[in-house]
Amino acid sequence: MRDSDVLDNNPCVSRSALEAMHSQVFGWALSRCNYEQELAEDLVQQAYVELLTGRARFDGTSSLKTFVFSVVQNLARSRFRRRATHLRLVHKAVPADDVQQFVEPLQTEVVWKAVRALPARQRDIVELVFCRDLTVEEASRVMGVSTGTGRVHYDRAKKALREKLKHE
Amino acid sequence: MNDEQLRQELQRTVAGVEADRVPEFESVFAAARAQVAATRRRHRVVGGAIAAVALGAVIAGLLPMRQPEWQYVDPEQLTNTTSWAAPSDVLLPQHSVDIYEEIPVFIEGTKIDGGSLL
Repeated sequence: MRDSDVLDNNPCVSRSALEAMHSQVFGWALSRCNYEQELAEDLVQQAYVELLTGRARFDGTSSLKTFVFSVVQNLARSRFRRRATHLRLVHKAVPADDVQQFVEPLQTEVVWKAVRALPARQRDIVELVFCRDLTVEEASRVMGVSTGTGRVHYDRAKKALREKLKHE
Repeated sequence: MNDEQLRQELQRTVAGVEADRVPEFESVFAAARAQVAATRRRHRVVGGAIAAVALGAVIAGLLPMRQPEWQYVDPEQLTNTTSWAAPSDVLLPQHSVDIYEEIPVFIEGTKIDGGSLL
């Protein structure tokens, strides 16, 4: 890690480390935003702002990847809590048919469809472990649940996926 | 389908979804830096304005607290003359003293160390 590479307010985080995991972080942000490109870009930028200002301070107790994924997860949660309130108000004012619906890509992929049909927490842990190469423990940390709870979601998700894919 | 097959299948699918969508790290990071700089500038301007207002309020609050210029009665002047007028009409507006009638009472209520404070 070069000295000039280290973020001023986050001495344990380097720019090059962020660059190396950028595509993974963006992928995670995409799935947090229901695959809306602009929202995902905004979310990743906001996560970098949190790291640059030191509001999200990495102390090295977990891997940097786990930490950055957690920052994205928390930002998405708070943002979509506000957005959900806004959408409820919009739906009250505008009939549902007039609101633009986002079409998720690859709905035709069998495995993808099976994963997207899982309950939210099972879907998240499958994505983090299988697609983002985190351990169950790290994934649980990102999701803000205990390792035991994470393992239960993971086992149930795998069981449900096997069941669904058996019938395809 | 075992775990490894599921992992490979999902990674392949996700790679397909994200392949052309990942924005350049440079552009996102530069935008984040610009946002931080803009926020800092805004905070400096707002902070400066608040500090100026606070300083103005403190100065304005301190101004009326300036001590009045106290004036003292010179005992020699009192003993050498038979008439005396109050040195400050703020302290004793339009008050004149008949030395023989009022001075004994007047002195009882004041300190004479270096002159009596009115």
